Amino acid sequence: MALLQIAEPGQSTVPHEHRLAAGIDLGTTNSLIASVKSGLAETLVDDNNRDILPSVVSYQTDTVLVGNEAQAYSVNDAENTIVSAKRLIGRSLNDIEQKYPNLPYQFVGNENHPDIQTRQGAINPVQVSSEILKNLTKRAEHALGGELTGVVITVPAYFDDAQRQSTKNAAKLAGVDVLRLLNEPTAAAVAYGLDNIDRGRNEGVIAVYDLGGGTFDISILRLNKGVFEVLATGGDSALGGDDFDLLVVDHLVKSLGEQAGLTRPLSASLERQLLQQACFAKEQLTRQDSVEVKLSLPSNNSFTTTITKEHFDILIKPLVSKTLRACRRALKDAQINTSEIIEVVMVGGSTRVPLVRSEVESYFKRKLLTSIDPEKVVAIGAAIQADILAGNKPDSDILLLDVIPLSLGIETMGGLVEKIIPRNTTIPVAKAQEFTTFKDGQTAMAIQVLQGERELVDDCRSLARFELRGIPPMTAGAAHIRVTFKVDADGLLEVTAMEKSSKVAAHIEVKPAFGLEESQITQMLTDSMSNAEQDMEARMLKEQQVEAKRVLESVQAALAADGHLLTEQIRNDIGNALINLVAIAQNSNDSSTGVKDIETAIEQVDKLTAYFAELRMDSSIRQALAGHNVDDI
Amino acid sequence: MNYFDLFALPHSFVIDLSQLSNAFQALQKTVHPDKFAHASSQEQLLAVQKSATINDAYQTLKKPLKRAEYMLIQRGTDMPSEQASFQDNFFLMHQMELHEMLEELSSADDIDSAVNQAHETLDTEYQALFCQLEQLLQTDCRETDLSACEVIRKLKFYQKLQLELERIEEQLFDDEC
Repeated sequence: MALLQIAEPGQSTVPHEHRLAAGIDLGTTNSLIASVKSGLAETLVDDNNRDILPSVVSYQTDTVLVGNEAQAYSVNDAENTIVSAKRLIGRSLNDIEQKYPNLPYQFVGNENHPDIQTRQGAINPVQVSSEILKNLTKRAEHALGGELTGVVITVPAYFDDAQRQSTKNAAKLAGVDVLRLLNEPTAAAVAYGLDNIDRGRNEGVIAVYDLGGGTFDISILRLNKGVFEVLATGGDSALGGDDFDLLVVDHLVKSLGEQAGLTRPLSASLERQLLQQACFAKEQLTRQDSVEVKLSLPSNNSFTTTITKEHFDILIKPLVSKTLRACRRALKDAQINTSEIIEVVMVGGSTRVPLVRSEVESYFKRKLLTSIDPEKVVAIGAAIQADILAGNKPDSDILLLDVIPLSLGIETMGGLVEKIIPRNTTIPVAKAQEFTTFKDGQTAMAIQVLQGERELVDDCRSLARFELRGIPPMTAGAAHIRVTFKVDADGLLEVTAMEKSSKVAAHIEVKPAFGLEESQITQMLTDSMSNAEQDMEARMLKEQQVEAKRVLESVQAALAADGHLLTEQIRNDIGNALINLVAIAQNSNDSSTGVKDIETAIEQVDKLTAYFAELRMDSSIRQALAGHNVDDI
Repeated sequence: MNYFDLFALPHSFVIDLSQLSNAFQALQKTVHPDKFAHASSQEQLLAVQKSATINDAYQTLKKPLKRAEYMLIQRGTDMPSEQASFQDNFFLMHQMELHEMLEELSSADDIDSAVNQAHETLDTEYQALFCQLEQLLQTDCRETDLSACEVIRKLKFYQKLQLELERIEEQLFDDEC
């Protein structure tokens, strides 16, 4: 690694260094990557000048194909070619089979961790997504000419904890550092830069209607001088343009059924062919009033049928109405009337469908904002945020205040859910609630963590289950078990529980119930490396060296700004600890001991600066309002 | 740190909500984890904690009943638990009447006006109690604080009725979206 520099005590910090960062829209049907180049956010293209990467991954005998190359196999090799993996990520097998009964894949593995059987073995949807991420980051590093510091990956606002965690795991597998998971509608609002519009005295409330390939989100935001405050969000993480296609497929099977001998179950490749034709028809019907659909059957017969726009509209109307019901609920949660909405932003390829536009327009009684390509707007917003988070815009006024989409709670007696954090709570958030024992002498307690709006456990999503053991025997109701929920800025949950009198603690990061476990990810990472053990260690060493650099920069910046708050003794101690850290970080080439050594050196610095960091944060809080105080007096 | 001090607001039940929201945004602009995305783990952790506290403080002061409860707890008043028995029989009787009023909505001749009437009744009675609460919280003494607790509990009854009314309304008018 490059030599670390140490500035003169009290002097300004490291010279500004532009850090490469990118925003990734990891979509159900298409994915994009964008970055800010000379002040302008734009999507990055591949060698063939295409910016859209179809979210398709094909597992061939000795190669993994991604994007257009993979798509070529989607009909003839449907079992090994995974499309729309985003619909499967973080879901249980039962969930998948109920929602998408006609998928061409063969599922293996257990109920909560379903894999897809391919000729390269069992593949998890997380791995599929990580292939797409790898492809895009490689493209970006090629286009930008260097390694990325980190990326912002967008997720549907309505994604639950398991789906978010799985997305983050996909990034981990792909070896990219995630600066933040950003909600898609919020990213779109950032791209439009609506916070800068001068509206006189009006506080701007906007609605972002985001209908993608597989997911629907509605977010209501209040904009004020760079602050994007999400008031409420709603949606359906299994409703999108793909569902329009499925309805058309069902229609085709029904109408052509007798004539063409199409009776389910159909072969995987025929289902795929139908799906492609349906998608083609949908796209044509955005421009014309009817479309001819042609099918070639294995028997070499071909059939033609016509679909009119009227008929298509009738087919999809119930789904469009479903999105409007979600809009109504989100407005109610935000306590906003449609008349208070000053802009309606349209996001996602499926908002090209004319019926969607006309219905949304008549619901909000407002002209829709569509000036940025609805397929690119999310990636562009993510790129702007990535540039800020990477530290390239220290003076930026932009602040995104997002919310959790679904309530979080735990199971109590009788299969009821006690909500601990209600939906639409601004994140990050930490909330605690106390519970007690049910029986005399009870020494253990099972805690089930749930996400959802319903009152019964069975109707909510179970995120995890853990046990608190070693509670000292007491009479029923005497123990005080404090359960703390923390949701970070990515919308990810961490739960801890503690019995107050005995201080028995249980701690979990909510992960296990769906998707992949930590150990599986490590295993996959190891498997993907040729020289597994050494490569893994080298990677960990590099991660630690990056962290060492961050610590160094942070502490130096802090000393330069507020070093005068400390005694000379402590300043010297910190200085020495930094010199020690730099020496260790630079000299540890042996990865087996290096990681531990750097960790220890960082811990030393952390210990010495803990009080200082807190002091600075508190003083910045006081300073932030100092101006207001003067005005008030 | 006291939540009112955190937002540089006077310790009073009646607050300027736009001042609260401006102060909230100004604070988040300094401590939000996004401002520390490239900083050390130590600072990131601290930012999450501070930001979460500020979010919680904002939600507490923004919602009037939570603000009132917070003030009472700060004054050392023990809030009675939700399950504690309720002394005011007259109030309970009246609550039952209001419940009946809601249950009968679906069978009203003119549903629209009945729903509007119900909204007005609940709003007026809520408002009257709310004014009482405002009055009571002006003085910081044990007796008025205990009365304020009672009023808060009553106001919560009304909030539940209002939710119930909204639910009924949704059911009655669910055909269109």
